Amino acid sequence: MKSNDKLLKDLAPKKFGKLGVIWTCLLIVIIIAGVIAYIDQLIKGQIVTNMRDYALWGIYISNFVFFVATSFVGSVTVAILRLTKNTWRTPVVRIAEIIALAAIIMAGITIMIDMARPDRLLNLFIHARIQSPITWDVIIIPTYIALSFLLLYFPLLPDLAILREHFKKDKPTLSKWYGKLSLNWKGSKAQKNIQSKSIQIIALMIIPVGLILQTIDAWLFSTTYRIGWDSTNLGPYFIAGAFVAGIGALVTVVYIIRRVYKLEDYITNFHFDKLGKLLVLACLTYLYFNINEYLIPAFTATEDEAIHLNTLFTGHYAPLFWFVTIGGLILPIIILLFKKGRKPLPMFLIGLIVVIASWWKRYLIVTPTLLHPFLPIQGVPESWHHYFPSVHEWLITSATLAMALLIITILVRYLPIIPIQRTADEQEELLKTNKNAEQ
Amino acid sequence: MKNQLNFNLILLALFGLLLFSTSFQSLHAQKVKKEKVRLKAQYIKIMDGEIYLNIKVTARVKRKNIKVSNIDLTIYNKVNNKKIKVGETTTNIDGESKFVFKSLNSIKPDSTNTYNLVILFKGNDIFKKAKKNIVFKDVNIRAKFITKDSINYISATLIDTNKDSLVGNQSLTVQVQRIFQPLFIGEEFIITDENGTILVPIEEGIPGIDGNLTFEVVLNDSDNFGTVKAIVEAPIGVPIVDESTFDQRTMWSPRNKTPLFLLILPNLLIFSIWGLIIYLITNLFKITKS
Repeated sequence: MKSNDKLLKDLAPKKFGKLGVIWTCLLIVIIIAGVIAYIDQLIKGQIVTNMRDYALWGIYISNFVFFVATSFVGSVTVAILRLTKNTWRTPVVRIAEIIALAAIIMAGITIMIDMARPDRLLNLFIHARIQSPITWDVIIIPTYIALSFLLLYFPLLPDLAILREHFKKDKPTLSKWYGKLSLNWKGSKAQKNIQSKSIQIIALMIIPVGLILQTIDAWLFSTTYRIGWDSTNLGPYFIAGAFVAGIGALVTVVYIIRRVYKLEDYITNFHFDKLGKLLVLACLTYLYFNINEYLIPAFTATEDEAIHLNTLFTGHYAPLFWFVTIGGLILPIIILLFKKGRKPLPMFLIGLIVVIASWWKRYLIVTPTLLHPFLPIQGVPESWHHYFPSVHEWLITSATLAMALLIITILVRYLPIIPIQRTADEQEELLKTNKNAEQ
Repeated sequence: MKNQLNFNLILLALFGLLLFSTSFQSLHAQKVKKEKVRLKAQYIKIMDGEIYLNIKVTARVKRKNIKVSNIDLTIYNKVNNKKIKVGETTTNIDGESKFVFKSLNSIKPDSTNTYNLVILFKGNDIFKKAKKNIVFKDVNIRAKFITKDSINYISATLIDTNKDSLVGNQSLTVQVQRIFQPLFIGEEFIITDENGTILVPIEEGIPGIDGNLTFEVVLNDSDNFGTVKAIVEAPIGVPIVDESTFDQRTMWSPRNKTPLFLLILPNLLIFSIWGLIIYLITNLFKITKS
């Protein structure tokens, strides 16, 4: 049992060490390179990308889908675990909220990058056709950003007030900022009532909104009559995939933060064990949908569909497809079924592979289908038959990923990663329970 | 004296060089092998319509068949070993050309009432010269639509125009025009009887715009007569009902014709969610003040 001072010392935001500074600088350099590439793209147009008439959605859209999927972690870990009263969620919940917010903000930015004329962004609202899935996407992303922000902000209020007091003597400016952001939190009954009611509403709302977000993302594809996309299964398939990507990202970030901030006493093997079980459940669900998505079309394939599936199973995309399926799904399931596999280090490695596989999975969803239209590709230059991102696309995409990591890094630097007030309350409750048991 | 000799020598050398280079050039030019072109031509006569030649030019280059575009072809009418120029045409990007005759009277048959045409390609830097002979006799198809015992038929007679005789034992096809490919009526090949006539029953229920059907009776690519086509229109089809949803509220209509359910339900959902979000934001203000 730790005292409140010890809790504050352990959990209050700390200055970055050398490694943290290098990490932040590296992210900034990648972002600058991406911004330069994006300015060049704006000047010269999307001719600098390798997207052409057939591969008209490329790495930007697959990256967007990845961000949307990762943001689902907010709905899963935070809301579902909160509503099911799983108390083990406490030390990982804020990290999940931060990842969700960073990912959904970057999803919104990535879709703008894909627009050749971002100055026409407003037209999406002015001339919106509600029949178009693009319009649904334009509506749901700001909605999810707003909810993710509120989901992060409401539970933060007591901690911000604690930090205001904590930094009052040593860092008055920082303390002032925490004070402003804590919205005069005094922990009064009225404030607590409003806060808990609001959190409950957000937790209830974010689950359907998260499901709608993932489904709309899937419908962007499945409402287009294309091989590989034309599936009634695609909505739940995307939800299951988002479940995997989100938990994978959470496991990876939790491990790094635990190690850097030395939080082994707060984020224990027990938490990794629980997260591991959650990841297995996610992977199994996604594997089931993958079987549905590939096995049945393989049995009933028309000629065009057979060509598409062959490029995935044995053709050009086979190495990537099998890496994503075996490395990103089957191996994690096998390893995580064993208790030893759910220890922190193996969990981190699995989480990392799952995240990388999740990113490439979106690439496989987008690109091969676009290169297999129903009408043959003809009368176009040979290079239009294939697609691999250009240097501009790689730089810009890397910058978006770096930007997401930078948002996470900045929030981790200035916010308590583990809820201080909640941890203190839980410890107090535990103490009371123990005392009662002793009596 | 010595200088003069040198000048002559230089002049001789330059002349020799010039001669060598020109002969070398000609030698080099001889090495460029010209490709053979293949001319294909079909004589087509539409009754009461156009009479034309369908010409296709291809070549086999590096073991691949290519379409030869933008080459000039001259069409001659051969009568009693004399070639009379009829006209010129140029192939398009697909290596094809359609040469339309003003009328069949613009060309003359020989003593056996056979028309002899020659398509000539004079050759160019890449392709060798080539020619194609086309021989045909003029025939007419008289086609009509008749109804007997409540059954509709297409009746057609093949007539040799010069002899004014009926042509029997020839294969005709009857088809109805469709958007992509014609639909065959009856058997694929129907042979004319000794009266040069065919009678083909038309099945019911063929759809057509306003109930109109356009039938074609075709003598297809005959060795003696080329291709001859007669067109008959008959109002016996099932009228196609215009199923346009242009004025309806559909998922594919413009935004001012959005289906009502799609206006009501998503907007209800959007306003409810954003209503709650605004309520949550006001809660933040309430926390500040309480």
